[in-house]
Amino acid sequence: MLTIACPHCGPRAQAEFVYERTVDSVVPLDAEPAEAVAALFTRANPRGEDDEIWRHTHGCGGWLVMRRHRVTHAISAIRAIGPETLP
Amino acid sequence: MSGVAREGATIGFTFDGTRYLARPGETLAAALLANGVRLVGRSFKYHRPRGILTAGVEEPNALVTVGRGGRTEPNTRATDLFVYEGLEARSQNRWPGLAFDLGAVFGLASKALPAGFYYKTFFGHARTWLKYEAVIRRAAGLGPAPTEADPDHFSQRALFADVAVIGGGRAGLLAAREALRAGKRVVLIEQDAVLGGGLLRDPREIDGQGSAGWIATVEAELRSGGARILTRTTATGHWDDNMLCLAQKLVEPGQVPGHGFAQRMWHLRAGEVVYATGLIERPIPFANNDRPGVMLSRAVRTYIRRFGVVPGRRVVVATTNDDAYETARALRDAGAEVVAVLDTRPAPAGADSGFAVLNDSVPQAAKGGRRGVKGLSAVIAGAEQHFAADLIAVSGGFSPAVHLHSQAGGALDWDEGARAYKAGAARQAARTVGSAGDPPASGAFRPVGNAKASFLDFQNDVTLADIDLAWREGYRSVEHVKRYTTLGMATDQGKTSNLPALEALAHAGGMTVPEAGITTFRPPYTPVTMGAMAGAAQGEHAVPTRRPALYAVHAAKDPIWLNAGYWKRPRAYPRGSETLAQAGLREARSVRQLVGLTDVSTLAKFEVNGPDAARFLERICATTVAKLAIGRGRYTIMLREDGLVFDDGTVWRLGENRYLLTSSTSGASRMATHISYVRNHLMPEAKVSVICVQEHYAAIAVAGPKSVAVMEQLTGEAPPRHMSASQPTIAGVPVHLLAASFSGERAFEVHFDARHAAAVWQAIDDAVAAAGGCAYGLEAMELLRIEKGHLVIGPDIDGRLSADDLGMGRMLNPAGGYIGHSTLHRPAFAEPGRKQLVGLESVNGDSIPEGAMLVPHLGARAEGHVTGAVRRVLGPGHIALAHLADGRARHGQEIYARSLTRGHTTRVRVVAPHFYDPAGERYRD
Amino acid sequence: MTELTITVLDAVPMAVLELWGDPAPAAKRLAKALGHALPAAGRAAGPVMRLGPTTWLIEGDHAALAKPLGEGGALTEVGGGYARIRIAGAGWRELLMEGGLFDAESPDFATDCVATTLIEHVTVTLRVESDAACLAYVPASHAGDLLHFWRQARVLVAA
Repeated sequence: MLTIACPHCGPRAQAEFVYERTVDSVVPLDAEPAEAVAALFTRANPRGEDDEIWRHTHGCGGWLVMRRHRVTHAISAIRAIGPETLP
Repeated sequence: MSGVAREGATIGFTFDGTRYLARPGETLAAALLANGVRLVGRSFKYHRPRGILTAGVEEPNALVTVGRGGRTEPNTRATDLFVYEGLEARSQNRWPGLAFDLGAVFGLASKALPAGFYYKTFFGHARTWLKYEAVIRRAAGLGPAPTEADPDHFSQRALFADVAVIGGGRAGLLAAREALRAGKRVVLIEQDAVLGGGLLRDPREIDGQGSAGWIATVEAELRSGGARILTRTTATGHWDDNMLCLAQKLVEPGQVPGHGFAQRMWHLRAGEVVYATGLIERPIPFANNDRPGVMLSRAVRTYIRRFGVVPGRRVVVATTNDDAYETARALRDAGAEVVAVLDTRPAPAGADSGFAVLNDSVPQAAKGGRRGVKGLSAVIAGAEQHFAADLIAVSGGFSPAVHLHSQAGGALDWDEGARAYKAGAARQAARTVGSAGDPPASGAFRPVGNAKASFLDFQNDVTLADIDLAWREGYRSVEHVKRYTTLGMATDQGKTSNLPALEALAHAGGMTVPEAGITTFRPPYTPVTMGAMAGAAQGEHAVPTRRPALYAVHAAKDPIWLNAGYWKRPRAYPRGSETLAQAGLREARSVRQLVGLTDVSTLAKFEVNGPDAARFLERICATTVAKLAIGRGRYTIMLREDGLVFDDGTVWRLGENRYLLTSSTSGASRMATHISYVRNHLMPEAKVSVICVQEHYAAIAVAGPKSVAVMEQLTGEAPPRHMSASQPTIAGVPVHLLAASFSGERAFEVHFDARHAAAVWQAIDDAVAAAGGCAYGLEAMELLRIEKGHLVIGPDIDGRLSADDLGMGRMLNPAGGYIGHSTLHRPAFAEPGRKQLVGLESVNGDSIPEGAMLVPHLGARAEGHVTGAVRRVLGPGHIALAHLADGRARHGQEIYARSLTRGHTTRVRVVAPHFYDPAGERYRD
Repeated sequence: MTELTITVLDAVPMAVLELWGDPAPAAKRLAKALGHALPAAGRAAGPVMRLGPTTWLIEGDHAALAKPLGEGGALTEVGGGYARIRIAGAGWRELLMEGGLFDAESPDFATDCVATTLIEHVTVTLRVESDAACLAYVPASHAGDLLHFWRQARVLVAA
C-alpha cells in the first residue's frame, strides 16, 4: 500500500486515491480521429517509469500526475493538474 | 480433574474433554507438558502421532481446535495460546480418538502416499477425482472450519509511527528506547503476551539489573514516554512504503471478549521499521524425528526456565551448534539427566562443557511411539550407538526471521557459518537488529536416517525422501519442488522446514544452498483470522448501505426492498398478501390509469454554473445543449472517448448560466469522475463550477394522466409542459419542477433540498392518494419504462453499443465537439453484424426469460440477448428489450429467446423497441 | 477522561464556493466580506472550510457572499447532502483511527485543521473544533451506517 504525497493535502494512504489513466492515453478535446485512436489503443506501457494520472478521489478531489516505477512502485515526481488555485 | 498437581495452578481448562489446571501466563503447550500430556495431535497426511516441537509461533505439530460454536478456531498452535479459565481445546485429524486413530493406517501405508501422490493418482478424468475427493478430504486435513457465524466483532485501526520496532526482546526494547529518547513516535510490536523475547528463556543481568527488572524498567520508560506497546500482536505483512498489517489478539482464541471485539487488524504506516525478530531454530532430520518427545533445544529451555516445566527426565541433546549446551545446562539445573550431547561437529566442539559430548554424531532414528520417545540411535564417527531417553532436544541451527524484511523487498544474504539466510540490503527504510542480524554458527552435516521417516515439514508430512523423489522426477526449481511436495505450504509456512529442505535439495542436486534457490516469503507471517481481515464488514454491513433521504418514509410503509448497488430502494409497496409481482403490477397500472409517485433521489445530479457552463456541457453531452432556452430541458446521452454510450440523463437550463444535469444512479460516481476529469484536465481554463448535488436534492417523480392536476393542486400554478421546468413551492419548500417522464405518461420530477424530504413526500403522497393513485417502486418502474422503451444504464446501455446501435444516432450534436466524437468514424462502427437495440414480443404470450440468448433456431450461435423483460402493464402479453445483431433490419422476424440457466425457451418476434404510445401523444396536454 | 459522545447536529444551510479562472481577485473581495482570508488547503476559518483545490464549504447563511463573489465563481447549495456529526471527548482521535487511513492522532492535526479521508469506506471530511471535539461531515446517505459503526467502536476507545 503506497503513501502518496497529494500536492494539496500532503502524504496520504493510497486507498484515498484512484488511478485513472496514463498521460499518454489522454485524448485532447477536438483530437483528430487518428490521434484519438492512437491514444486510446496503442499505449507505451513501459516496464519501468511511466506518467500516470491519479485523483485524490476520497480526499480533496484534486488531480495529479505521478511518475511511478511499474516494478518497484517508487514514485519519483508528483505534480498537481487542474485550474489555477490559491494556496 | 486429571494431570499433575502443581502449586499456583488455578486456571481450569480442558483438552479432549479432560480437565486440567494451568498456571497464569502459561501457554497451552506448557500446561499440557506440565500435566504429562505429550501426544497432542495427528499429522496431516499420515496421521502420525505428534507432540510439541517448539515453544513459539513456528509450531508445526501441536495444532488444536479451541472454542465453541461460532468462536471455534481450528489449527491454533498450542505454543501460541495462553490458557484462560474455561479454555476448551481439542486435538485434530483423528477418529475415533487421538490415541487410537484409524487414519494411522495411512502412516503404515505411507509408501503409497509419496510426493505428487494426488497428481499421479488422479491424473485422468475429472470424475475420477470427484469420486476420491470425499475420501481424501476426510482422511487428510486439520481442524474443520466452524459452520456457525462468528459472534464476535473485529476492529481495524490505522496507526502511524516514526519508528516501528518488530519484536520486544532485548534488541527491540533497546531500539524502541533509543528512538523514543530521540523524540520519535514509537510503536513496539510483540507477538508474545509479555515483553522480553529471548530474555524470558535466557535471563541475564543487564545494566546491573536482572532480566525481569530490566524489562520492566524499559517498558515503564517507553510507556511513560508515550510509546505504544502492542503485545499479542503479530506483524503479519510488510508492504510498500513501510505499511504493515498487525494482527492483534484482544482476547485469546475461543475466549469470549468482554467488550465484544476479539481481534484487531492494525494498518501501520511507519517512517522506519526495525526488525528485532530474532531466530527460528531448525530441527534435525532423522527417522521418526516427529515423535512426541523430540523437541527443539530452545523450546526445552523455554519450558524449563520461563514456565518451570521440565519436559523430560532422561534427555539426549543433539546439536550442530554451541547454543544447545545452554539447554543441557538448563536441564541439569532442573534436575534432569543429560544422557549425552551428540554434536555433529568434530572435536573439540563442546569439549569444555562438562557434559558427555560425542563429536561427529548424527542422529539416525528415534525409538518409541505415540506415548513418546524411548531413545535415540546415532551414527557416531561411523559407528551406530543407542541411547535411552524420554526427551530428545534437537538443534539444527538457527534461521533469522527475515520474513518481513523479504516481503518488503529486502535482499537475503547467505551466511555460510550459520547455514542460514540473513537480511541483506533493505529496499525500504528498515533495518535488522539483534540476533536476527547475527545468527550463531552451526555445523554442516549429512542426515543418516531412513529418508522416508525423516521429516522436514512436519505439518504437511514432507520427508527427505519426498525431496529426493521430486529431484529424481526432474523438478529443479525450488518453487516447483515446493509445490510438488507441498513443503512449506502449510499454515506454518515452513518456518522450521525451509532451510533443512534447501539443504536436502542442494544435496540432491550437488549444489550449494544458495544455488538451490529460495522460495518467496509471503504474508501473513502467521495465520490471520478471516474476521480480522473483514473488520466491521460482516453480515448486513458487508458492504456500505446508502439510505436515501426518504428511507424512513419508505420504511414506515414496510416495502419490499431492493439493494440497488449500495442504495436501499423500495421495490414495491405490497398491500395485504400481495406478492411482489402483484404489487408491482397494481402500482404500474395506477400510473398508467391515474397517477403515482416514486422516489428517484438516487439519480446523479450536478449543478453546472458559469459563463462556460453550456460550452462545458456540450463536451460532456453528445446532444446539443447550448440551444436550450431558459426553463427548458432535454434528454441527453454521454459517450466515452471510444465513442460508445456510457450514460444518459437530462439537462435543464435553470438560468442564463446555470444548468442542472441528471444522470443514472448506477453510473453516478463514474460520471462524477468523468466530469471532474474533463473539467480539471481538459478544460482547466473554463469559467465553470460543477458541483455534485446528488445527495443535496431529494427527488420525487409523479407520473400518470392525473399528474398535471396533482401538481397544479400542489403548487397552485399551471405545471410546466413536457421538458420544461419551473420553480414553485410544495408544502412551503422551494422545488425545481421538471416535466420529464420515464414511464410513458405525463410526468414530473420534483427536486428539492433533501432536509425537507419527508414533508414534500407527505404533501405529494396525500395529493396522489386523493387522486386515487399510490406510491410505486422499482418493480413498477421497470414495467413502465420497458413498455415505453426507456433504457437503463447497465443492462440496456452496457458500454458496448454506440448511439446509432441504440437508435439514437440522430440525437448526436451535428456540430460535433463532444467527447467521443473523434472516434465515431472508426470502421468498426459501420461494420455489419453490430448489435442493435430492438424490442421483442412473445409470440405465444409466454413470458420472456431475462438475460436469455437470442438464436434464429435452436442450436444456433447466439446473435444477441434479452436485456430486460416484463409483462405488459394493461394489455396481455410479454415484451422485452434486447440487443440483436443487425436488429433494426430484422423487425418482423421470429426467433428464439433461449435461457439454458433458467431452462426456459420461448419464441419471440423482433419489433421496434417502443411498445406504448410510440408517438409520445400522452406527453401533450 | 470525559465520556466520548457522538452527536448528530441540527441541519444548517451549506454551500460549496468554487472559484474559476484567476481566483485571486474574487478571493480578495470575499476576504473583505468575511473578515478573514479564504482558508488554505487543509484549514478552516470561521464558517469557511477548504474542501479541495478550488472549493470551500460555507456553513450557515451565505447570501452576503454572492455580491463580492460576482463573476469570479459560484455558490451551490449542498446542505441537504451532509450530516454533521460531532465526536467529542478525549478519545475522539482514537475513535477516528477505527476503520480509518488518516493520522487523526497526529498533534499536527489541531484546531481548525481539515482533512477529507475514508473512514470505513465512506468519504468523510473532518474538522478539528478543539482538542476535545471534531466535526465529521458525512454524506447523508452513509450517515446511518457510519453512526452505527462509531457507536459500536466506541467501547474500544481507551478500552
